Formats: sequence, C-alpha cells, structure tokens
Amino acid sequence: MSKLRLVLFVMMVSFVFVLAGCIENTSNPDAGEGEAEAETQEADTEEGEKVVNIGYSGPLSGAAAYYGERTLNGVKMAVEEINTNGGFEVDGQTYKIELNSLDDKYLPNETAANAKRLLQENDTPIIFTPHSGGVKAMQVFNEKEKFIIGAYTSEPGVTAEGNELTVRIPPRYDGYMDPFTTYAMENFGKKIAAIPTASQYGKDWTDMLMPHWEEAGGEVVYNSSVDFSKDTDFFTMVTNALENDPDVMFIGGPSEPTAKLAEQARKLGFEGGFIIMDQAKLDEMKSVTGTYETFEGAVGVLPLVDAEYPGTDQFVEKYRQKFDEDPGSEAGFNYIATHIFKEAMIAAGTVDDAEAIREHMQAGIEALPEDKQVYTVSKIEEDGGFVTGLSVAAVENGEIKSIEVDQ
Amino acid sequence: MDILTQQLFNGLTIGSVYSLVALGLTLVYGILHIPNFAHGALYMLGAYITLTTMLLWGFNYWVAIAISVLVVGLLGVLMDRLVFHQLRNAPPIHDKIAAIGILLFLEALAQLIWGADYRSMSTPYGEVINMFGLTVTMQRVLINVGAIAVMILLFVFLKKTYIGATIIAMAQNREGAHLVGINTNKVAMLTFMLSGGLAAFAASLSAPINLVFPGMGHLVILKAFVIIILGGMGSIPGAIVGGYILGFSESLGATYLSNDYKDIIAFLLLVIILSFKPKGLFSREGF
Repeated sequence: MSKLRLVLFVMMVSFVFVLAGCIENTSNPDAGEGEAEAETQEADTEEGEKVVNIGYSGPLSGAAAYYGERTLNGVKMAVEEINTNGGFEVDGQTYKIELNSLDDKYLPNETAANAKRLLQENDTPIIFTPHSGGVKAMQVFNEKEKFIIGAYTSEPGVTAEGNELTVRIPPRYDGYMDPFTTYAMENFGKKIAAIPTASQYGKDWTDMLMPHWEEAGGEVVYNSSVDFSKDTDFFTMVTNALENDPDVMFIGGPSEPTAKLAEQARKLGFEGGFIIMDQAKLDEMKSVTGTYETFEGAVGVLPLVDAEYPGTDQFVEKYRQKFDEDPGSEAGFNYIATHIFKEAMIAAGTVDDAEAIREHMQAGIEALPEDKQVYTVSKIEEDGGFVTGLSVAAVENGEIKSIEVDQ
Repeated sequence: MDILTQQLFNGLTIGSVYSLVALGLTLVYGILHIPNFAHGALYMLGAYITLTTMLLWGFNYWVAIAISVLVVGLLGVLMDRLVFHQLRNAPPIHDKIAAIGILLFLEALAQLIWGADYRSMSTPYGEVINMFGLTVTMQRVLINVGAIAVMILLFVFLKKTYIGATIIAMAQNREGAHLVGINTNKVAMLTFMLSGGLAAFAASLSAPINLVFPGMGHLVILKAFVIIILGGMGSIPGAIVGGYILGFSESLGATYLSNDYKDIIAFLLLVIILSFKPKGLFSREGF
C-alpha cells in the first residue's frame, strides 16, 4: 500500500513539474514567480563601501499579489541600476542599496508589524508600501521612529493630515474628476451608473466622483459596488445597472476583473462610454479581452507604455527585458521614487536622517537625470505629494488617445 | 417583465455553479464527515489545469475539461490517502486543521507554478444569443445544461449502479457497510474522486465568465458551505436545491431589494430556514 502511495505521489509531483512554468499566455506573459515571504536583494559591496537598507512592505501573496509584485519590481529595478553603476556617494563615502521586502498580504496591521521588523532588523530610513491602509497604519508611528513612508497611493487623505515624513508618489485621484467627467459627458450623455470595486479606495473614489458628476449637471441612475473577491458573475449587477439606461458607466478595481465587467456590460448591450478608476489600467484591461474595441469610449489613466516622458521608452524597454511584460504605472512611479530618494540622500548628505532626506526631496527631484524620468515630477508639495502632470487617455476607434488636461 | 426573466436566468447560471461545487462538498461530508475546506482549492486547480492543457497542448475545451476532471479527481484521492485516511482515528478537529493546511498549500503551490496574475480562459462559446428578450451567451447556456446533465448522471450513478449504492450504504451507516463486505477505503477514495471531479467541472465551466487566479476558490467555497448547511449536511438534493436558492436569492435580491445587501439576504434566508428546519432542508437519511 505504501508503495502505491509513493508511486502516486511521485506521479503527481512530476505532473506538477511538467506544468510548471510552461503555461503560455500570448497576451499576458508570466508575471514572474511568487515571492518568498521575506526577500533581500543584497548589494555586492566592495571594500570601503557601505550599505543603505530600504524597506518594502506590500501584498506578495493572496489576491493582490500581482499588484504587489509589480510595485516591488519598480523599486527593484532602480536599486539594481544604482548598484550596478557603483552605488552613490554621500559625504565621501560610497553606499550601495539593499532592498528588504516583506509580505503584508494587503493588511494594514501586517504592514505596521513589517515596518517595525524592518526598522529593528535593518534600520531602514525609507519604507515603501503600495496601499493607503498600510500607509495610514505606519503613519501612527513613523514620525516618532523617524522613517519616511514611500506611499504609492493616489488617496489624497494620506497627505492631508500633515504627516511630515510621508511622500505620496502618484498624483492625487481628485485631479481626475474633472477631465473624466467632462469627457464622458460631452461624448456620451448625462446619465451615469456606478459599479466600482467594494474596497475602501473604490468607495472614496465614488464618493468624490458622484457629487462632481451631479454638480456638472449629470444624473446618477445606479450606484452599487461589486466585490471582486466574492462575486463569481457580474451579469446580475450589470443587468440591473443597464435597466436604468445609463449613458456612461463608472467602473474600477484591479484591471483584469474590471475588464471582465466591461466585457459583460457590452455583451448585455451597453453602448455608452466608461469612466475607469485610476486603479485599473487600460493596457492591462486590453490583455483580458485582446482588443481595445471592448472599451471604446472609455476614459482613464494613460498607460505607461503609451506615455511620452523623456525616460519612458528606455524604462519600458528595460522592464520588458527583465520581466518579460509591459510595465504599468505602479512600476514606473516606484522606480522614479527610488531614484529621487537616492538623489535626496546625496543632497542631504546623510543616508539615515529621515528628516534631512525629506527636506532635500525637492533637490532630489531637480537632480533626477532626464533619462530616469519615466514620469516628470515637477516638485514636491508641502504635504509630501509629488506633483506630476495628470496623464489622461481615452479609447477612440480602438486606439489609445492621449488627452490634454489643463492643470 | 424582461428584467425578471433575465435575472431568473442569471440566478440559474450562478446557482448551477454553486450547486456543482456544493455537491462535491456534500458528498465528502456525507461519507467521511469531513468539512473539506480544501474543496475551493480543488476548484481553483481544476480551472488552472483546464486552462493549461488548452494553452499548452492546444486541446479542445471539452478534452481539456475531461483531463482536468481526471487530474483533480486523482488529486482528491491522493488527498484522502495521504492525509484524511491517516487521520481516520484522530479526533475530528485534526481533519479540519489538515483541510485548512491543504488549502493553504495548494494555493501557494498554484501561485508558484502559474504566478499570481489573473488569466482569462477563452472558449469557442463566447457568442451572444438574444432570445425571448433574454441576453445570454453560449457559455452560460453550457453552464446550465452542463450542470443539470451532471446532476442527472450523478443521481443515476448513485441510485442505479452497484458502486453508487455502496456510496449510499456507507453514508447511511459506515460500520454496517463494512460488515456487509463493502470496502470502505475504496468507497472513500471514490468519493474523493467524484468530489474533485465535480469541482474541476464546475470551475472549467464557470472560469470563462470570470478569470482564473490563485484565490478564485474563495469566490465559491464560503457559499458552498452555506448551501450544504442550508440543504442539510451531506444531502445531495439539499446541495442542488440549496445552490439554486442561493443563486436566485442573489440575483432577485439584488434586483428587487438591494444589491449592496444581497449577501445579507442570502444569509437571512439561511437563518430563517434553519429556525424552521434546524438540520437543513433535507436532513440526511442516506442522501
């Protein structure tokens, strides 16, 4: 009996290995392997060189793992570049960067615990996290423990409370309200149905967009959130939304399920436009349906691969080579943020005084070489938010078209 | 009127998926009294294996489903032999802990093999059909027809074949079945095989309308537990009826009451049914 069991086991294991890694998906290549819970990207230091530790806490397992990996990839790439170029010099001393990443499963309490661990074990002056819940959890003690939060979230709230050591990397989402509303209303009509994701972020977004829409003379005919972690099928919800005959649909959440939702709306006969929350990226949505035609008339954030900043092309090419997929804005923004932090350390003349580094962020931004400018950050505001031009795009005739936004 | 028929159809579709998942869960519970928390992971693996065989070897959708049903069924057997069979004399809590362990293991394994990103499964059945004011896709029709066909087959198998009868016998009385010469180990393995196969079939049918990702088992597993409690733990008609009750209450509740509270409606229904029938709709007497 035990022999049989062994044979069965071996068969099963070998089957798993046959499958391993061979799956091919033409439109959506492998997003890289799963991450170990704690991973350190070690710096090869030569004699006389020192190491600066940088922390990262984000979802590396569970439903949001792909998102965490992509944000981490941006930081990783920047760190690698800095190290292969021989590190950087502060006050006559050469430093290399060591990246310590921990998995927080998207849970704010885990982010806080990870931050404590990173501080104790690695003494990190900067900790990146890609979700607003984690940012808020760390804001409880980051000023006391003196570390900078590299906050990858467009939630305006994280910089609204005057935390002095928070740096918000992407643009605030409230800037999107006006261009999105204007475009959708002019091109499609005044009736909107909202089916955003059920996360806190989705709710905050909706609470901001809906009043804006009504102020602009529109009408909200349906408003209900979809829980992508609980609903298998969106037909029910979309049927109800369409019953109210909307001209525009507001959707959003992770790109892939959002794309599926849009696809189902089209199948049910919806012909209007979409407003797409900044969490979802048009190019990633396209990889689900294989064509932009499904999203005709959608207005959302300009995909990074279609952007035209000085450093974008170079970054996109490098990223494709390294990770075998198109980079999204989450990788791009974390990439430049890491470079800016490095420049700020040089300008501040210190690698461990978080307050000094924060004070020299503006100098860091100005010192960022043009070829690293995947996005162009013009300045950092008092509250710690990067000021980046909003990049808005719409899908017209099955193609991405960049839209000019008056700032 | 249109919206009612449309929502009834939507409820039927989602109810079919729920029922198939709940059937596998209830079978194992009926025989072994194990709440198999890892069932959601089997569902997820079923979708991945179908997707992989389709993309990697270019198999036809139906051939891929057959392979997936077989592989996941065998995985179920393996789970029984390696884990649950070893724990047959242990206190019941050990089974539950082991089931959760398997769930975590399989999910992590899937993420390691296939990566964490969402994948979409495309089938040749994407076209939209409009009939009687209904908008449906071919895939949805397949889900409904497929689920009902499998339910009938399962029923015939259990009621009309000798092997099926041994499963029922064992569910009614394990010792008794053993005494009349039924090999209970074999029946247990067979049950796990069926259960895994049903999960794989449900996942392969429903994956094209959603996405394939390591956490997809969570979409259905909690609801499947609700269903088998509602229908009566271990009852097959209970799992089927329960699945459709939940499907319809979700779609109709979302339409006529409130979409935000549709889960509350489903759980409220559970509370009401359990207050009148504490053992579920069909308290088990050998299925």
